[in-house]
Amino acid sequence: MRLCIPNRLEDVFLALDRAELTLDRAAVDNACRADVRLVLEELLVNTVRHGYPDGREGKIDIHLEIRADIVRLELRDDAEAFDPLLHDPPDLPGDIADREIGGLGLHLARSIASDFEYARDAHGNRVVIRFDPSLSDEPSS
Amino acid sequence: MTLIVRSESPIPARTTVWLEGRLDAETFGDLDAALRDITPLVDNGGTLVMDLSGLEYISSAGLRSLAQLRKQMHDRDGRTLLLNPQPQVKKVFDIVKAVPIAEVFASVAELDQYLDHMQRQITG
Repeated sequence: MRLCIPNRLEDVFLALDRAELTLDRAAVDNACRADVRLVLEELLVNTVRHGYPDGREGKIDIHLEIRADIVRLELRDDAEAFDPLLHDPPDLPGDIADREIGGLGLHLARSIASDFEYARDAHGNRVVIRFDPSLSDEPSS
Repeated sequence: MTLIVRSESPIPARTTVWLEGRLDAETFGDLDAALRDITPLVDNGGTLVMDLSGLEYISSAGLRSLAQLRKQMHDRDGRTLLLNPQPQVKKVFDIVKAVPIAEVFASVAELDQYLDHMQRQITG
C-alpha cells in the first residue's frame, strides 16, 4: 500500500483505516494489525500536531509492505526534523494521572515495533519500522 | 468504527461506563464529553467502573483521557476500576504501566468480590 496524505488529522485517520484494510486482506493476524495501527497513529498524529509549527501545508508518504515473515512500514514527511529515537522514554513507574504524559505515544510506538530506524535527507524525515507478526502477542518491553 | 459510550448508575455510589470500539486521537473527545455528564452523578467517594469488554483498541490519546478521569475521581476521594481489558488494551496498559494492577479486574465476579470486601471494611 502506498499513500500520500496532507498533514491533517482527518486524513491520518483515513490512512489508518486504509492500512488496516490492507493488513486485513493480507490475513495479518489481529494482534499485529493493531500494533501497526497503533504505531502509525502515534507517529502520524505526532507529525501532524508538532511537525509543522508554522502552519504550512505538508505531505506524508506512507508505504506499507506485507511479507510472510515481516510487515514493513516506511514513513516520509516534509516536516521539521524530528528523530523519534532521540527522545528519552518517559518515567513510567507510578500512577499515570500524577505525572507528565507527554512522550507516551512515542514510547508506545518504540516498544511495539520490532525494529525502528530514522534518517533525514534532502526530502525530509524518513522512518522505517518493522513488525514481526510472530512476536505481536507479547510487549517487547 | 467509532467509540460508543454507555453508562448506568443503579446507585449513586457506583456507576458503570461501557466503552465500545476505539479510544484514540479521533474519539477521545467523545469520551471526555460523555464523562463530563456522567462523573457528577457519582457520589463523592463513589466508584466508577469502566467496563472495557467492548473496547478493541486504545492509543496514547485514550490513555490520557482515562488518566484524567482517574485523577478527577481521585480528587473527589472516589476510585476508578477497570474491568476486562481486551488483548490490545491490556498490552498497552502493560507497556506504559498505566494503572495499578490492583485496579484492573478480569471479570464482574472478581470486581464484585473486591467491592464487597471494601464495603465490609467500611461498615465492619
